[in-house]
Amino acid sequence: MTTLAVDPQPKAAKKEKKAKKDKVALQKHKPMSARTWLRTLAWRHAVAIFAISFALFPFLWMASAAFNNDNDVSNQQLIPPHPGFNNFQILFSNPNYPYTSWIKNSVIIASVTSFLQLAVAASAAYALSRFRYKGRKTTLMTILVVQMFPQLLAIASIYLILADLGKSIPFMHIGNISALIVVFVGGSLGVNCWMLKGFFDTVPQELDESAKIDGASHAQIYFQIILPLVRPVLAVIFLLSFIGAMNEYVLTSIIIGNGNQSHLTVAVGMQGFISSAYQKNWGPFAAGSLMASVPVIALFMFLQRYVVTGLTAGSTKG
Amino acid sequence: MKIFSVKTPSKTFGLLLKLAAMGSINGFALWAIPLLLRNHTYGFAAYFIFATFVLDVVYFSRRKFIPAKYIAPGVLLLMLFSVYPSIYTGYVAFTNYSTGHIIDKKTAVSEIVANSYQSLGDATPIPMTVAKDAASGELTLLLTLPQVGPEAGNAKGLTPLAADSVTQDSKGVITAAKGYTILTSDQANNETDALTALKVPGPNGSVYVANDLQSAQQEVQSLKYDAATDTITDIQSGATYKPDSNGEMKSAAGTILQPGWTQVVGWRNFSYVIHDKNFRQPLFQVLWWTFAFAILVVTTTFFAGLALGLALNHPKLRAKKLYRSLLIIPYAMPGVLAALVWVGMYNQDTGVINRMFGIHVPWLTSPWWAKAAILLQQLWAGSPYMFLIATGAIQALPSEVLEAASVDGASPRQVFTKIKLPLVLLTLSPLLIASLAYNFSNFNAIYLLTGGGPLMQNSGGLAGSTDILISYTYKLAFSTGEGANYGLASTVSFLNFILVASLSMYGFSKSRTMENMN
Repeated sequence: MTTLAVDPQPKAAKKEKKAKKDKVALQKHKPMSARTWLRTLAWRHAVAIFAISFALFPFLWMASAAFNNDNDVSNQQLIPPHPGFNNFQILFSNPNYPYTSWIKNSVIIASVTSFLQLAVAASAAYALSRFRYKGRKTTLMTILVVQMFPQLLAIASIYLILADLGKSIPFMHIGNISALIVVFVGGSLGVNCWMLKGFFDTVPQELDESAKIDGASHAQIYFQIILPLVRPVLAVIFLLSFIGAMNEYVLTSIIIGNGNQSHLTVAVGMQGFISSAYQKNWGPFAAGSLMASVPVIALFMFLQRYVVTGLTAGSTKG
Repeated sequence: MKIFSVKTPSKTFGLLLKLAAMGSINGFALWAIPLLLRNHTYGFAAYFIFATFVLDVVYFSRRKFIPAKYIAPGVLLLMLFSVYPSIYTGYVAFTNYSTGHIIDKKTAVSEIVANSYQSLGDATPIPMTVAKDAASGELTLLLTLPQVGPEAGNAKGLTPLAADSVTQDSKGVITAAKGYTILTSDQANNETDALTALKVPGPNGSVYVANDLQSAQQEVQSLKYDAATDTITDIQSGATYKPDSNGEMKSAAGTILQPGWTQVVGWRNFSYVIHDKNFRQPLFQVLWWTFAFAILVVTTTFFAGLALGLALNHPKLRAKKLYRSLLIIPYAMPGVLAALVWVGMYNQDTGVINRMFGIHVPWLTSPWWAKAAILLQQLWAGSPYMFLIATGAIQALPSEVLEAASVDGASPRQVFTKIKLPLVLLTLSPLLIASLAYNFSNFNAIYLLTGGGPLMQNSGGLAGSTDILISYTYKLAFSTGEGANYGLASTVSFLNFILVASLSMYGFSKSRTMENMN
């Protein structure tokens, strides 16, 4: 037992991959005839290019609108005839729609939410994966069922709860960002916990056992063995929660949407911005959306390798 | 081989951290609980006491409750913001909670009585001046009462003014009074709220209230509540109002007093959903589209993702990595913003889709095209996810089986339909069920694109032809017009939950999700 790196993929699959690689290496010596290429690969490229144009088009269209100084929806072209940064200027100089505050709020809400969600879900998943105790199955079942009742359905109740709590605890009042964060964290245990448990299950129990013999406490096993091993997965779940919180519309608009414009998030603020005057705001809207999308997309690309394993966790195992 | 060494410093650090965290939790509870009790939110106070107690016991006991140390924070949060709202929604489904029925009965009755002051039948307007007490600054009405003479009235009552201390004009309006500062009409206008609220107690339970800035009138309470019989009586006409089954005070003639109150109405909301024609018809359409939407979205995105996954899964395919990175962009793009971009692209006159193909399709305004538009947008947004998980599943297929099949002479088509597809489906079924459940409540997909519209005919102006249950519920709960109907909305929520939960439980029990329980 020397290496601690746990690959979420089973060993067999790894070997297989290697074998495949070797095969490819062997075959590379024989160049493919044009006819075989046409038959086996050409259509694959065609499919990929078609799908990519479909996938990329809205993004490119948005980018083109962002850099289009004419800001004219009805005559917009994919390559803007008068490119420039006018729309960005308009966006940042409009005091009625404080874009900078929206971005700031979104980033605060999304990062605090995803961090807390991860902390809460990971520790619960650790207990559910590693300990056998009375009521464990009930906990798992409860989490599964509760998760099926989306907070969205209980939105009126959540509003009333916050109205009551806010009377006594100022930071839980409606209109307050921290209230929204607590609501998000409280409603998210299900999905993430279930996913993480699947991952913790793939970390061999023997590691815990031998650490225990060496005198490690359960907290040390958790923080110093299990968590470092699943770090990529934690990153992916953080990313997915981050995107989720950035994207949340209804709860956000009900809890913090009715007050000051500068308290909104990008999602809610931009919705109001574009709905107020579609044609006029199209260019600045596109500029704002582009700026909000690019960092997320970049982060996603960066973590791409882990995203696949993260998504299929708990279902592909065994 | 020793793979782990105990680092003692981290133990001390951990202990300090724990003490700090527990200290702030207890401090917070000690601060919040009295406030919660003072505001009569006893349920929350009880919850905070319970939660703090649980956390203290769990974290300060030595050997016991180790699993609870990891689960307790999550479960306590879940209880407050998921379990409790769900149960509360279940309760609201059995009440008449709606606009006009927001408060409890006690408050409603006292509001009705407080609002029931009526002017005495033939009373002529009383000359009045708005003033402030020069000493205390209290808002005062200077009244010239018929047969009585000048009096100063504030919230406490009337004080007679000596005739020689006041100056009156020909109509009897006081223009100056010793000890009082007369307000100009501008100054008085600034005090409108206080002026409207001011009720000067007069003789026999009557009150004097300002009509405008120059006249007042005498009013008496017209309704009286009798707690023993639980009825409200009109003092003048003698009519009695009794509580009806809908949480309102109603007279024999059918007059209803506002506001009503919240009360349990049993299965009435449920029977309304089933029996009311104006509600049932749109509901059936909404229900039909909810199913169609969820199933179509999952199947189209899954097969698109699977096809892409298969097409791009060839050892000799170049640029595979680049293709994959580009293909997942829609999944990474913030969905709300993307949906709003699509709204622009779908615009009938200016949208790029119609312009590009030289067509004039009413994408978001015709019932059927709007459905197609939503499905197409979801195909765009959802396929990358399916592509990712399908790729994962395809790569995990056991190559021995595939090789054995081709050795046995199976055609590529047979390999796909008989081996690959069933295996991939088996692997991904929990994710597909979760995706189905998610799409049943995919509010953003509908709301941001069409807002549920275009409006359905004969739906009471509420249900649209692309509304799914959850967006319809949202409209019921927060719609303007007739006001919000939380009771009915909760009933629909409740039914939606039953539907989604039973579907997913069935799916999960058929698939392998439950194995995760071990």
